[in-house]
Amino acid sequence: MDTLIIDGLSFALPLFIMAIGGIYSERAGITNLALEGLQGFGAFFGALWAVVFSHFFNIPIQKLFYFALLLAMVGGMLFSILHALLCIKFKANQVISGVVINILSMALTVFLTTQINSLVFGALSDKFQIGTSVRFTVPVLSKIPVLGAAFKNLYPFEIVILVIAIIAAYVLNKTRFGLRLRACGDNPHSVDAAGVEVFRVQFKAVLISGALSGLGGISYAYSISTNFSPSIYMGYGYLAIAALIFGNWKILPTLGACLLFGFARSGGYILGQMLEMPSTFSDLIMTLPYVLTLLLLIFFSKSNRPPRALGEIYDKGKR
Amino acid sequence: MYEYIVEMRNITKRFPGIVANDNITIQIKKGEIYAILGENGAGKSTLMSILFGMYEPDEGEIWIRGERVKILSPNHAAKLNIGMVHQHFKLVHNYTVTENIILGMEPIRKLGGLIPYVDIKGANKNIAELSKKYGLQVDPTQKIEDMNVSLQQRVEILKMLYREAEILIFDEPTALLTPQETDYLLDIIEELRKGGKTIILISHKLEEIKRVADRCAILRKGKLIDVLDVKETSTKTMANLMVGREVSLEIEKKPAKFGPVVLEVDNLRVKNQEKVEVVKNVSFKIHKGEVFAIAGVAGNGQVEIADAIAGLTEIDGGSIKLNGVDISKYSIRERTIEGISYIPEDRQSYGLILDFSLGENLALKDYYKEPFCHKGVLNKDAINEYGNKLIEKYDIRSSLGVNTQVRQMSGGNQQKAIVAREIELDSPLMIFVQPTRGLDIGAIENIRKMIIEERDKGKAILLVSLELDEIMSIADTIGIIFNGEIQKIAPAEELTTKEVGEYMMGVTA
Amino acid sequence: MSEKNMDKRKGNTFNRVILKLLGNEKWQHLTIPIFLIFLSFIAASIIILSLGKNPLGAFYNLLQGAGILPKPSYAGYKSMLTDFLSLLNYMTPMIFASLAVAIALKGGLFNIGVSGQMLLAGFFATILIGYSELNWVIAKPLVLLIGIIAGGILGGLIGFLKYKFNINEVVSSIMFNYIIQYVLSFFIHSYYIDPVSRQSKYINDAARLTLVNVELINLKMDISIGFVIAIILAIVLKQFFDKSRIGFEIKAVGANSKGAKYAGINVGKTMILTMVLSGIFSGLAGVTYYLGYFASIQPKTLPSVGFDGIAVALLGNTNPYGIIGASFIISIIDRGSTYMSSMAGVRKEIASVITGMILLFSACSAYIQYRIRAKKDSLAFMAGREAEE
Repeated sequence: MDTLIIDGLSFALPLFIMAIGGIYSERAGITNLALEGLQGFGAFFGALWAVVFSHFFNIPIQKLFYFALLLAMVGGMLFSILHALLCIKFKANQVISGVVINILSMALTVFLTTQINSLVFGALSDKFQIGTSVRFTVPVLSKIPVLGAAFKNLYPFEIVILVIAIIAAYVLNKTRFGLRLRACGDNPHSVDAAGVEVFRVQFKAVLISGALSGLGGISYAYSISTNFSPSIYMGYGYLAIAALIFGNWKILPTLGACLLFGFARSGGYILGQMLEMPSTFSDLIMTLPYVLTLLLLIFFSKSNRPPRALGEIYDKGKR
Repeated sequence: MYEYIVEMRNITKRFPGIVANDNITIQIKKGEIYAILGENGAGKSTLMSILFGMYEPDEGEIWIRGERVKILSPNHAAKLNIGMVHQHFKLVHNYTVTENIILGMEPIRKLGGLIPYVDIKGANKNIAELSKKYGLQVDPTQKIEDMNVSLQQRVEILKMLYREAEILIFDEPTALLTPQETDYLLDIIEELRKGGKTIILISHKLEEIKRVADRCAILRKGKLIDVLDVKETSTKTMANLMVGREVSLEIEKKPAKFGPVVLEVDNLRVKNQEKVEVVKNVSFKIHKGEVFAIAGVAGNGQVEIADAIAGLTEIDGGSIKLNGVDISKYSIRERTIEGISYIPEDRQSYGLILDFSLGENLALKDYYKEPFCHKGVLNKDAINEYGNKLIEKYDIRSSLGVNTQVRQMSGGNQQKAIVAREIELDSPLMIFVQPTRGLDIGAIENIRKMIIEERDKGKAILLVSLELDEIMSIADTIGIIFNGEIQKIAPAEELTTKEVGEYMMGVTA
Repeated sequence: MSEKNMDKRKGNTFNRVILKLLGNEKWQHLTIPIFLIFLSFIAASIIILSLGKNPLGAFYNLLQGAGILPKPSYAGYKSMLTDFLSLLNYMTPMIFASLAVAIALKGGLFNIGVSGQMLLAGFFATILIGYSELNWVIAKPLVLLIGIIAGGILGGLIGFLKYKFNINEVVSSIMFNYIIQYVLSFFIHSYYIDPVSRQSKYINDAARLTLVNVELINLKMDISIGFVIAIILAIVLKQFFDKSRIGFEIKAVGANSKGAKYAGINVGKTMILTMVLSGIFSGLAGVTYYLGYFASIQPKTLPSVGFDGIAVALLGNTNPYGIIGASFIISIIDRGSTYMSSMAGVRKEIASVITGMILLFSACSAYIQYRIRAKKDSLAFMAGREAEE
């Protein structure tokens, strides 16, 4: 039971923060399938600098945890500039742009990782080892029966994600920026007429989605694999998109969807262990979140209401 | 002191291929109602968009309150106390009245003196006061998507007033209103003027200009034709100046000769995507040789009725009979074959495939039949030959004939192409939805004449229009719809414009 | 003419050159992609330069490796011809995959599930025919048939989900990609694994769509049967979209689904049909990949050619002939990369970076076209004004 909650949360929360990034972008009217590539590039960027710093300044790599998180957000944001430029400046098809960025991200990070490994560290590897993150347990709360597990063996990034998620929800729903951002996704012309630059708001929204995806990506690098490698491109970004679709582009329901994915995944593993299945069955269990996504989409796709102007190329001249 | 609050001197604005404004000079005094009259495409909206900072003029100067200015953005215009109500409202549908009004100028408070947030509660109070002050009744917490057009327009006006605009531009403000709502709006405009505001009214409706405006600038094909004192000019003169020739919008119409019933709609019910019933138990009949018009304010279910008859929308109940055959389960194509022509409201997204050629679009409903298609293979020559025939017959103008991409054609010629295609289907029932929207007077005349001709040939015609003038001038029978229900069906000659207007608002039960 | 005007002219020279090169609308479908590839290679050159390597040398090696230019020396039974034939062999699944993407794009759909469809088709063809003892006369056509069926069904399912449940085809395709990848990995690991290669067991040559090591004029060459089929089908597809009724309907739905519905076209049916057709080509890509270029399946790996197909389709402007040309270019980059890597010391992964870059620029090609048109219009307008004056 404990592992179910612990593993479920550590999978769900990075997914959640990426989905919030997606919500920011999509509620501003920019379809963002690039989350997958953004999280990968973010993780790459964070891991790269952690490895470089630890190598050249002799800092133990565990100490660079928060540094790596920050740099991953920077990296995700930098790469998201591409999506913003393509969608906003070059008026490319937003779906195609997203997919293109995912492909480029994977190609570029794999190339750079192997190239840097061989040039800088003289190693033949497509991975950056960043070590495991320390975990901690909240003293009193973790003693609560059943639910206490949510406070056991926490990764520090889970706390970071929760804090940022709360801030993100506040900004989106209560502040001036949030009000304008959500208006862009419904009727950008109204924003323009109110004297606010639509492009600017959308650009910022995409950058935020980049930063949050980067954070999600590096969290996976720390929790699931202890390194950055091409295996980071496991479709987490697409799962996050599926989650925000069930969540109807709203933050709290999206959290629910992410938790569902997380628990489905950890539940599947536990089930596999309990039934003492051979290891090849892990492949089947891996499909659980994806199958669940498809099934949920079948039930929910018809009823949800995406932002009205989502995916539209905003052109000032048109009405 | 300055003589004119707004002066636009020698304004020229070019777009690829056309000169939208050619050396136009207008001078507006403080506190006057200044009308800008012109046909669609005369350059009215462009001129006002320049004043509102949405376009930069290629040549010319703008002077506001005696000072030369360069208006770079709507934001900048707002700082100069210029406000504009656009023809297509710029409102966020899932936002409240207050949220829409404050957008871009949000009042900020700080949580615990530190964390900023938008003060919606305070704003609600301010908006309520503002709405009271100007007699523009709205509920600040209501969402836009739950409001009708006239209320939405009030929100747009409040938006300007909230920004303390002194120069108010109204772009075709009455296009979507009932006669009564129009009266109300014109009263408000006069009130605003009394309160010291300067008003610029863009319109092509002569009566309302005559009623409220002091002076009137007339534009034609991008050029300023004249500036007139409205009190001393007849509407006839204004109309002739606007069009550049003698016009009569009166259609010559022989008395109708009704034949047997062609279309019978019985207890029709339609639900929209949100599962709300938008057409409620609607029944009517159209005879051979009859123009049956549905009058109503936009969004009251009339388009859904047309879509349901043509098969674009699924029905929720009731029946649709064409020449006695129940077609309510038929596919769109089967209905076309059974005998329905349909000129849809949204010609660019429904009526045409803009990326296809004119020839292909003219054959869009027949392409699968002989001689255009033989055993699954299209015959381009036959399609083009047919296209050329229609282009000639209906005088459709385009640069490359059948090979023109329809996207490159003017709105009037696009509409001509649709009408040509649908008339050539020779269907017993023809549905026209807003057939003259956005066209210039020449094209409007032309299309109205064609509708009457088809009627005289013995077609049954269903006309859906938001223009009451249009309905009054060509309909034989009028059905008035409000909130998805038909309020009244009567022969056109038994109804006055005022009565129709009342039914349109559901006031007469 | 005043001096000020002269200055303006000079500043426009660059624009004018680009306009001259790309402005002719008749040739734009050729000139713009070439321009994009050129841009991508410039970007790649910058990367290679920053690694301290010579980009021109690297690109020369790329062409040598792909069999376009002669290498200094060859191993026994090998020559530029055998390299070139391998290039065609490599190119075959790419043509099919790109055509699959293009069919969907014509119909307004985005088939990012080509890889999954390939894998599924390849898997079924492998286990049903690849491991059988059937004679090649029966085996080879059956492999093609199974590819067509498996790909078509999966493609159709994605279309159906979109039509019936409004599920975005991109999301569902990706979910299927993962599900297929893992489920098939399970089956391969459980039943068909070759313990040494850690891949599925090799198929019998009778079922293979590439004739390997054919000895001719003292050379051992790989001859791809699939390549011939790919070229024929590309030509058929071009005619299909230009002349057939169904092709017209698919294009109508893709250009404006509301308009198509209004015209009486059954949009749902056409959408499903489009995806079935797209899936069929994916399936053919799958069998020519797993039972042609390769003879076994690597578990838990999606073929990257399914994604490269997106680039190729965009680069080829969704025109089947354009796609053949674009496949040729992208194949050269991929095939030549190993040789380039060994000769020039640039990691071969640069190949997918170049492809990614081409893809990135292709996404903007509509914008380039639009800008050129706007520029031309305004120039024409100015010229007109000057003539008037």
